[in-house]
Amino acid sequence: MTRFAPFILRNLGRNKLRTFLTGAAIALAIALVCLLRTMPAGLDSFLNGLAANTRISIHNQAGLVYPLPYSYLQKVRSVPGVVEAVSWTWFGGAFEPEKGVSFPNFAVDPEPLGRVYEDHRIDPAALDQFRRYRDGALVGRATLRAQGWKVGDLVTLQGTLYPVTLSFRIVGEIPRDQDPRFWFQREYLAQALLARGTSFDQLGMIWARVDDPDRVEGVMREIEALFRNSEAETACETEKSFFGNMFGSLRGFVTVILLVTAMVALCIVFIAANTASMAVRERVGEIAVLKAIGFRRRLVFGTLLAEATLLATVAGAAGALGSLGLTLLLRYQVSGWSPQLGPLGAFVVTNAILVEVLFLAFFIGIVSGWLPALGAARRSVTATLREVY
Amino acid sequence: MIQLSDVSRVYQRGADQVHALEHVSLEIPAGRFAALMGPSGSGKSTLLNILAGLDRPTSGQVVVAGQRLSDLGEDALAAFRARHVGFVFQFFNLIPVLSARENLELPLLLTRLGKAERRARAETALRVVGLEGRADHFPGQLSGGEQQRVAIARAVVSDPEIVVGDEPTGDLDAKNAEGVLELLRTLRREFGKTVVIVTHDVRAEKYVDEVHHLDKGVLIDPQAVRAAEAARR
Repeated sequence: MTRFAPFILRNLGRNKLRTFLTGAAIALAIALVCLLRTMPAGLDSFLNGLAANTRISIHNQAGLVYPLPYSYLQKVRSVPGVVEAVSWTWFGGAFEPEKGVSFPNFAVDPEPLGRVYEDHRIDPAALDQFRRYRDGALVGRATLRAQGWKVGDLVTLQGTLYPVTLSFRIVGEIPRDQDPRFWFQREYLAQALLARGTSFDQLGMIWARVDDPDRVEGVMREIEALFRNSEAETACETEKSFFGNMFGSLRGFVTVILLVTAMVALCIVFIAANTASMAVRERVGEIAVLKAIGFRRRLVFGTLLAEATLLATVAGAAGALGSLGLTLLLRYQVSGWSPQLGPLGAFVVTNAILVEVLFLAFFIGIVSGWLPALGAARRSVTATLREVY
Repeated sequence: MIQLSDVSRVYQRGADQVHALEHVSLEIPAGRFAALMGPSGSGKSTLLNILAGLDRPTSGQVVVAGQRLSDLGEDALAAFRARHVGFVFQFFNLIPVLSARENLELPLLLTRLGKAERRARAETALRVVGLEGRADHFPGQLSGGEQQRVAIARAVVSDPEIVVGDEPTGDLDAKNAEGVLELLRTLRREFGKTVVIVTHDVRAEKYVDEVHHLDKGVLIDPQAVRAAEAARR
């Protein structure tokens, strides 16, 4: 078949605009499939990066928006197996109020923070500063990048849930590239609220570290039992499960998108098949002549199928490489973070995805070229010559 | 040698049967230049297609170059055509995206010849038809007469014993038509090819060795034809 390659290439170049448009449609579809295929793995990678297997969250069973009494923190600390626990309370502070809350910010307990988040490898000097200064803040790298802040900067957040505006000095970073969190001392918020005559004796949720991954399930059951039939019953879950649920709607969205992607691929098969049919129809006389001079049916079928497959595969490769380039660019350039989209840097076109979409493009070529090529190969030479000439 | 014995061809057209050929027996010795003539619908193109291995008779025997064509399957028939028969069509039917040389190399792709040999043979065939200077021209850049010469070169480039032409002069002016007929006669004279053409062109009678007349699917006795022509005069 290789000796027919120049002939196949010439035929592809016969109608350059049509070949380009068909190739572009296939390339775009494959790029889309490629990008969407990165979503499930990207989401998993994102969750794995976020979560530790010994950290659990304890929140109100009624939902995340319902608070828990602050006294629960001490009770959780006393459960056997719990190494340390820290409270988190959503502040909802806006740096630029007209833009709303652009990064997640929480009031936390400074003392236990380092032990609960040992795996974050926060600089001990920064943790020390965080404990020492009541207005200190630890900020994730994603937010530092997005806002253009650095350690030592002074920033002010206007509360959207609490009627206070707080100024902070950034005393350190949370050294994780995609981390957007902004932590500050719970006491700082409590004092500000007290100054306005409001007490602050609740917390949003508790994060606890368990001493052994094998004990996590037992500790969670014990904590839930501890607060059963109390004024605020609790629900516990692992950190991965917590973030998984948080992004649960995104997973459903991914499923829908993958279904849409499959339909896009199917549409492209039809478009490519239509193009192949047109290409064959306008060459029906030439094909009859080829058969007259001795081209066998299988050879006619093979050259036409090769034409459709070559176009689809080359276009697919271009689309796949384009999407790979785009994700690599995003990986290095992305500086923002949006909880709705997740960190784009985690979405990478892997070698496995590349191979998968190249096979898909090849398959699109085969399927789209099959029927037109078969029809042309089976057509009677004499009948065709009579019809055409 | 081309031998047809009691060949009939019946087409089914809707509910009707069309008898394109009826009990035709014909022998064309090797190295002859023969013309099949007759009015439209007389069955001459059907006869040409059958002896060239493009179509199969409903009944009767066809033996060409010592090969009984009814014994051959589709693929074997295609191989037979590639090896033994060269085709010239009324509308030249060159591949427009290939140059003259590449059009000639096309049938050679079916052989085991290497690239250099294919190229050399294509250039030789172009020289035979007087178009060596047009090798890199595409069909759209050639005149009708030149395109038909390239088509004749394509028909002989793989050195078949038989060259068949369906109205090879039908789309040409008088001068080019004479040139093509002369070229076909040269193939017979200098290269020993058996040439069979279907034509309405009466000028062909000057160039061919024998003429076979058909009417309504039946081969007409030459003496009867001559008598009818004499009566017309």
